[in-house]
Amino acid sequence: MSDKRLAVDVGGTFIDFVLLDEATGAVEVEKEPSLIRELPEHIFRGINRLAVDLSDLEMIIHGSTIVINTILQEVGGKVGLITTQGFRDVLELGRGNRPQVYNLLYKPPKPLIPRYLRFEVPERLSYKGEVVTPLDESATREAIEKLKGRGVEAIAVCFLHAYADPGHERRVREIAAEAFPEAYVAISSDVTGEFREFERTSTVSLNTYVMPRIGAYLSDLEHRLADGGYQGALSIIQSTGGLMSSEEARHLPIRTLESGPAGGVIGAVALGRKIGQSNLIAADVGGTSFDVAMVLDGRPFEKSETTVNERPVLQPTIDIASIGAGGGSIAWIDDAGGFRVGPLSAEADPGPVCFGRGGTEPTVTDAHVVLGRINPDLFLGHRMELDVDGAAQAIQDKIADPLGLTLTEAAFGITHLADTNMIHAIRRVTIERGHDPRDFSLLCYGGGGGLFAGSLMREMQIGQAIIPLNPAVFSAWGILNSDFREDAVRTSVMPTSDLDADQLLALFDALQEQLEQRMKKNAPGAEGMRLIHMADMRYEGQEHTVKVPLPPPDELRAQGIQAVQERFDELHQTTYAHSSPGMPTELVNLRMAAVLESKKPELAEIQEGSGDGSAAFKANRQVYFKDVDDAMDCPTFDRGALGSGDRIAGPAIIEEWNSTTIVHPGQLLEVDAYGNLIISEVA
Amino acid sequence: MATVSMEKQIDPITTQVIRNAMVTAAEEMRLTLVKTAYNPLIYEVQDFAVALLNREGEMLAQGTSLPLFLPALTFTIKSGLEKFGTGGFDEGDVMLANDPYSTGTHISDTSIYMPIFFDGELQGFCANTAHWADVGGKTPGGWCPDSNDVFQEGMIFPHLKLYEEGQLNRTMMDYIMANTRFPDLVRGDLGAQIAACKTGVNRYVALCEKYGAETAREAMELVFDQSEALMRRMIGEMPDGEWSAETSMDHDGIVKDVQRKIKVTVRIEGDEATVDFTGTDETATGPINCPLAASRAAAEIAFKSATLPHEPANEGHSRPLKVISPEHTITNPSWPAPCDSYGYAALIIIDLVSEALSYAVPDRTVAGEYMLFGAWFFRTDPRFGKPFIYIDPVDGGGGASSFDDGADGLIFHGDGDAPNTPVEVAESRYPIRIERYELHTEEYGVGRFRGGMGTIRDYRFLTDSVSTQVANEQTKCRPHGLHGGADAGINRLWVRPGTEQQEIITERVSFYGPFVTNDVLSCRTGGGGGFGDPLERDPERVRWEVLNELLTPEQARESYGVIVGEDGDGDPVIDLAATEALRTERRASASA
Repeated sequence: MSDKRLAVDVGGTFIDFVLLDEATGAVEVEKEPSLIRELPEHIFRGINRLAVDLSDLEMIIHGSTIVINTILQEVGGKVGLITTQGFRDVLELGRGNRPQVYNLLYKPPKPLIPRYLRFEVPERLSYKGEVVTPLDESATREAIEKLKGRGVEAIAVCFLHAYADPGHERRVREIAAEAFPEAYVAISSDVTGEFREFERTSTVSLNTYVMPRIGAYLSDLEHRLADGGYQGALSIIQSTGGLMSSEEARHLPIRTLESGPAGGVIGAVALGRKIGQSNLIAADVGGTSFDVAMVLDGRPFEKSETTVNERPVLQPTIDIASIGAGGGSIAWIDDAGGFRVGPLSAEADPGPVCFGRGGTEPTVTDAHVVLGRINPDLFLGHRMELDVDGAAQAIQDKIADPLGLTLTEAAFGITHLADTNMIHAIRRVTIERGHDPRDFSLLCYGGGGGLFAGSLMREMQIGQAIIPLNPAVFSAWGILNSDFREDAVRTSVMPTSDLDADQLLALFDALQEQLEQRMKKNAPGAEGMRLIHMADMRYEGQEHTVKVPLPPPDELRAQGIQAVQERFDELHQTTYAHSSPGMPTELVNLRMAAVLESKKPELAEIQEGSGDGSAAFKANRQVYFKDVDDAMDCPTFDRGALGSGDRIAGPAIIEEWNSTTIVHPGQLLEVDAYGNLIISEVA
Repeated sequence: MATVSMEKQIDPITTQVIRNAMVTAAEEMRLTLVKTAYNPLIYEVQDFAVALLNREGEMLAQGTSLPLFLPALTFTIKSGLEKFGTGGFDEGDVMLANDPYSTGTHISDTSIYMPIFFDGELQGFCANTAHWADVGGKTPGGWCPDSNDVFQEGMIFPHLKLYEEGQLNRTMMDYIMANTRFPDLVRGDLGAQIAACKTGVNRYVALCEKYGAETAREAMELVFDQSEALMRRMIGEMPDGEWSAETSMDHDGIVKDVQRKIKVTVRIEGDEATVDFTGTDETATGPINCPLAASRAAAEIAFKSATLPHEPANEGHSRPLKVISPEHTITNPSWPAPCDSYGYAALIIIDLVSEALSYAVPDRTVAGEYMLFGAWFFRTDPRFGKPFIYIDPVDGGGGASSFDDGADGLIFHGDGDAPNTPVEVAESRYPIRIERYELHTEEYGVGRFRGGMGTIRDYRFLTDSVSTQVANEQTKCRPHGLHGGADAGINRLWVRPGTEQQEIITERVSFYGPFVTNDVLSCRTGGGGGFGDPLERDPERVRWEVLNELLTPEQARESYGVIVGEDGDGDPVIDLAATEALRTERRASASA
């Protein structure tokens, strides 16, 4: 077996493949359309196109969108729910809030488990985990029999306060294993140890809902790989960007909900470490969506809860804001005569007008083509010739004429409004969390990253933008940097003043045991697991908590619990712009992560350039920038021929097979040792 | 060199950029307020609103918040301008206003606003209003159900300058802190409200620096014009006509044996609409009076929902809507009539305007919704443990529409996006155990589309000496069904259900109790009103509800004329022939 690792990253339009040769650091990339129905087949087809023998592969890492698509399209299994007597409607009632405040017709989405498949059994715990009513086992058997009779293939279990003692839930699983062994079963305390019954019920229900589908999908994929000679393990990317075994993914598929966009952020962390950038805004500009996340002090910013179509999921997740903005975003005029861009997208099919595949609505890509910024002959490495006239005609007819603008004014407007939509998303992930975007560098990847980086940084007064090597497959490269990771949480509400450092650490013992067991399944025999302790804390009487990273156990013992309180005050100040040192605090949730580091791909240095990029110069082209009446004579360069140390003053266009980078007038482009493009403002 | 920023006439690109920036600025004001507030009514119940306004007091943009407050902020700024004049404000002023007759809501909702200056010239205002933890007055935390003038309801701030040119008026601050029961919370919230205004001022000034103050103003004028034109088009598409709806309130809080009427007439003429409250009873003795600004705000909510529910609101949307109310009435009371319970009337107005509009746009309106209901638990005697107050927003059923059943178990529409308290959180905080939380399968209006169902929530006290305040209305005249749908049900508080001391409370009372350990209170909210003839309900919907144990076969026959039998597995099946026969017979006897 040679040292080769393969990343398979499934996105909305393409499956990206990155094959890494550990010995040389060389990288091979491939793309294949992602058609939901025949995903394993297309994955296999893409692997076959790479020059690799499956038996030579050490590891395959898979970023998957199957869980989120199953939920969004509502094509999961027929699931039953067993819950505490008096609470079978929790899943349906939710939190009763009304996100559309002006819409009297608003209704939340229907529960994925209807009422006739939700059964109550007598049992009850207090919030401390004391048994108020013991589990009624015969009622449990009866409920399982009824669910079996009604044809469910999976059962979710959620009891009140099960986070405090999972005993009752585990007993139900045992009974189900006897009475209905063919059913998939998931219990809430396995999925999350956090309180809030609607959110936990929703999480375990969604987990159970996707179990039959992901089970079949992974089996299909693994069989194909084994038949092809692959002997290694298949690892799946979780929403945290960490890896888990496919076996774990079968039991806890909900942990892979945000598997898709996580790769790019993990890549941002890895690249940032390499080039000395620990504070990054990681922006993935695709065809239909703009995904943005914040990397702070070398770590992705995480949240412990997310939602999918208004359904909550209690799982640690990289905090990614996603909006409908990208190359395919459609420009339109609203009913009031206002000029809008997105969130509707022409998607991959029919795509922008310039693709010539039947698209009629002008898109952001069409605008860039009209402004001369995209080389019509070079799109996707000559695989596609762009219809410039068609794009111009669509913008003229649909936007310019109705608004009384010239063609180039309208095209400029489209790109500018797309910029402002993206800026709002960036402001949301930074300012909402108490950070100033100007303190970050902007890393732009995805097919459209280079088109927007220069204008976004200028609008937001960000000092530097970075466009990595192979930006279009950067997410797939990113997942090669993933570590194995397991997370656990346990709600334990108590005053911090009741604890000393040793007592606080003792609360983590059960979590640690759980993590060690799970990690053994991911990587049998592996040593050197790193543990991260965190505590969700708040001032007494508050609702919102702040996640406080705890120092390693030895330091914590030496510094005492006081240090934890001080760290909390500090973080509260950063996040909410005020703090109250000395006010009593409460512990709410204990969180622990176990990380097993993997080998990271090396970045190869590129050869030195001539200094001014002249070796990469291709030709001059007429390109419109801010002056919409006069195109500028703009030099274009071949990215592959640039060398390290090359510096090019804007305006300039850098072209590669599946991406274009714009350097605006007044900006300077520098190529670093690894071939990353770094844009800064001159003055 | 011609660039995109043109001189005279503002271009559509800049207009859209400025419009988006205004919405983002308002959203950032909201975030500042929520994240820095101390008071759970702000960060949990979300009882607040934020907005950016121009120098005429017209709404530029708002942050997601309580919809009822937003038009009230417009009124607040306009009345401030009336008092001080455009020249009466200076940079760094922080204004304080809560007089219901110049803010439009009730006294607990305290507005803070700051003028925005650029190049020494007044550009507009940043404003927010939030329910303070306490404004003095006779009831802790506000909501006095039995005041008989505005002076009993709390300290009155008739547009006072808390800061003048950035200088704090310490005397005023000391006075406020001495007259509130929770000075720490109020000081914290005041700080949060001022911080939110400053965020808005900074964002607006940054916009002026980039595009020029003139351009920002012109852009928003254009946006107003566009929004107004759109609203006029939506109204223009409605048929011309005049429709009325009315109801009576249970009592006014003081005079218990008189029901007070609220009447709404909606008139559509071309592209203009009028909401006329003529016919509404005169000002009440108790605090159910609803200041004109709130009456208008409620009418606007119903109009916005029926026309442009998803558009960020601005002044332009309000222009084609005229609101008339005779003076000295419940919907336009005169100083110093009490108005602390104005919320009931405001919610009723939303339902009544929606009802009247249902004749013009039946597919954009809903039947009446369950009425605001609350049982707030508190223990103040420290001998029994730490004092606490537990305010749990209790969800109920929404009204049916012409194409769907109403929403089950949702917060009433006046309370925006407020979430309920999870059972597991409540039990870890308060000495109670919640023993049941489920759909209330009774007390909703049937119809071709039924009203949404309410909820049942049973609380068992694990301590002595807990008391409750009960908020309720519309138990005599119920929220209305539409076009043949049945009226909604009512909210009830069951006290010690199933025991010899069982009582059922439907009246709103400020103090009930105290209760002892193991006493159970059961909050059972009503559902919404139905839409259309129940005999036209799709039998498949009826079968689905029987399968899901929301309806018994007896109720199916009784309410809908649908005959439900059982298949071999015991699952419900519809007998279509028998159903058709029964429905034909019922229709015949109804027309006879």
